[in-house]
Amino acid sequence: MRDVKTISYGEAIREALDDGLAQYPEMILIGEGVPDPKNIFATTEGLREKYGAERVLDMPLSENGMTGICIGAALGGMRPVLVHQRIDFALLSVDQIVNNAAKWCYMFDGLQCVPLVIRVIIGRGWGQGPQHSQSLQAMFAQVPGLRVVMPTTANDAYHFMLDAIADNNPVLFIEHRWLHHINGEVDKDRSRDQLVGAAVLREGRDITLAAFSQMTIEALKAAAVLAEHGIEAEVVDMRCLTPLDTDSVAESIGKTGLLLVADCAPEMASIAHNLLSKLFLSHYGMMRQPPRLIAYPNHPVPTSPFIANHYYPGAEEIAEAALEMLDKRPLTQTVKAKLQSDLAKDLPDRSFAGPF
Amino acid sequence: MVQTTADLKQLYYQMLRIRRIEEAIAKRYREQQMRCPTHLCIGEEAIAVGVNAHLSVQDKIFSNHRGHGHYLAKGGDLRRLLAELYGFAEGCCGGRGGSMHLTDLAAGFIASTPIVGGTVPLAAGYAWAERNKKFDTAQGFNVVAVFFGDGCFEEGVLHETMNFAALKKLPLLFVCENNQYSVMTRLSERQPDREIYKIAAAHGLQAASGDGNRVDEVFTLAETAIANARAGHGPQFLELHTHRWPEHCGPNEDDELGYRPPGELAVWKQRCPLLRTRQALLDGGLINDAELEAMENSLAEEIEQAFQWALQCSRPVVSSMELHLYA
Repeated sequence: MRDVKTISYGEAIREALDDGLAQYPEMILIGEGVPDPKNIFATTEGLREKYGAERVLDMPLSENGMTGICIGAALGGMRPVLVHQRIDFALLSVDQIVNNAAKWCYMFDGLQCVPLVIRVIIGRGWGQGPQHSQSLQAMFAQVPGLRVVMPTTANDAYHFMLDAIADNNPVLFIEHRWLHHINGEVDKDRSRDQLVGAAVLREGRDITLAAFSQMTIEALKAAAVLAEHGIEAEVVDMRCLTPLDTDSVAESIGKTGLLLVADCAPEMASIAHNLLSKLFLSHYGMMRQPPRLIAYPNHPVPTSPFIANHYYPGAEEIAEAALEMLDKRPLTQTVKAKLQSDLAKDLPDRSFAGPF
Repeated sequence: MVQTTADLKQLYYQMLRIRRIEEAIAKRYREQQMRCPTHLCIGEEAIAVGVNAHLSVQDKIFSNHRGHGHYLAKGGDLRRLLAELYGFAEGCCGGRGGSMHLTDLAAGFIASTPIVGGTVPLAAGYAWAERNKKFDTAQGFNVVAVFFGDGCFEEGVLHETMNFAALKKLPLLFVCENNQYSVMTRLSERQPDREIYKIAAAHGLQAASGDGNRVDEVFTLAETAIANARAGHGPQFLELHTHRWPEHCGPNEDDELGYRPPGELAVWKQRCPLLRTRQALLDGGLINDAELEAMENSLAEEIEQAFQWALQCSRPVVSSMELHLYA
């Protein structure tokens, strides 16, 4: 019998960690706050009770040292999953991630490997401000030897986490905090994949919306409203960054001839530029007009909601740009009105009460 | 303590072997065929030898950019070290690492890398994995040792690692080779006037210091420290004072640059770890000139044969360059 159920993205991660700890006796789960009462937004809840304090543990505030210690533990036969509640904290460990984890297998001629998962959470909202809500996926994706994934759906969150634990390479697992509450169907029977490839989440013939992480949710929202006006947008979830799956995007452009890319990162630091330049080199001429990029402004996000709420583009901006590309500007006001939400822009969902 | 004549002779032989290999590398380095940064450990041999004398193949070590001595004392394959320096496929890293990236898993030499402090937490992580294994009451824990310099003591990651190692009582030995210089910058320009090992003690480690140019002293300090780590008493720290004779990187001496006070190098050469041990052996009537000559001859032959082997190795295939990005 298939094991299929509808759970949230956050619950899917917790289930994957639970199943990983059960399946791999050498796996450990470590990070600042992992066993504390809030359990990394409940994604590690109950795991210490189930697997013991030797395998599910907190750590000193030594991000670089602990990353190196997890690399060494991996060399010694363990399978660590290291958690950072904010990707900003992982910046303290860039030396160990870039100089050691990413290069170890290569520089020792394939004789040694580093089975390590680093969970990092990106996000926005409730005034997290300049140092608690950065989106640094492109920076890490530009380091050869790392695997970088940012799953969007609950099903991918579950399977990518288990795949990352099983993988013998360092994997940076990037979660957008605003995905945690979103429900999805998780089918546990899916076979293991190699943490590569994009996924078409909605098919369409008029325009390709290639999006990263939480921006995929925004693209899906835009696509749903566009469909009410007879516009069929294809939504491609760019869930794996190393390498970027340009083939899937090119295949979609082959149908639509139009490309809009949406990323949850400042424009100057967006991995979307890699996608666009790769497509320009390999599929120049397939696009009927220049592609567009929806991304954040090129400055940090301020804390105050009165200005931060104007920082983030979303479904409205995606839809507006798509309508321009399709030469359907007259529909803009109607579509945007439909997409407007009465939910404050610094809240991920109605049930949320701050702080994060 | 060094109990027997055979032990002391063996320590001397191991130090002499490292010295002669480093000298041979320096001589051949000038031929411009070993095209990688190479940091020789001439003058510092006693530390590598005195510590590794207590480690078995099951025990592991991590090292740094100046790692030839540690690699050789742990039993690393000489021929594959030399092939690595020449960039050949048979090198211990297939030519991908050079002098600063060595490995010999069969010998328990996990790795050396040249980012200062880079391998220190890795050694702790490895020791953590060992600590998590079932404790063997007869054998104790396998021990992990990591070698680093006085410059590394300034890296934050070292202190992060000492904190965690003490917290988890890891079977880990920190070996600080204090040669007083980070490249050409003197310790007094970098650290206040206090002793390094006392900071380690404040982190909760069992710590001691000693003369790193006396192999019997290193041997005795390491014996206690490693026994403690093996028995589960937690991480150990040794600060061993020594001096590097050659330039920071390369085959030559560089005293003419003037970054050392006049006469300092000469004083340290009088404290040569080999000279002292040979004198002790001769004074005690424990060795004779014929045995010393036999040692030299046997080493000269081993080194020559190793170079001959390395020099006939093959260049890595260009297409292999893209392999092993991922496991």
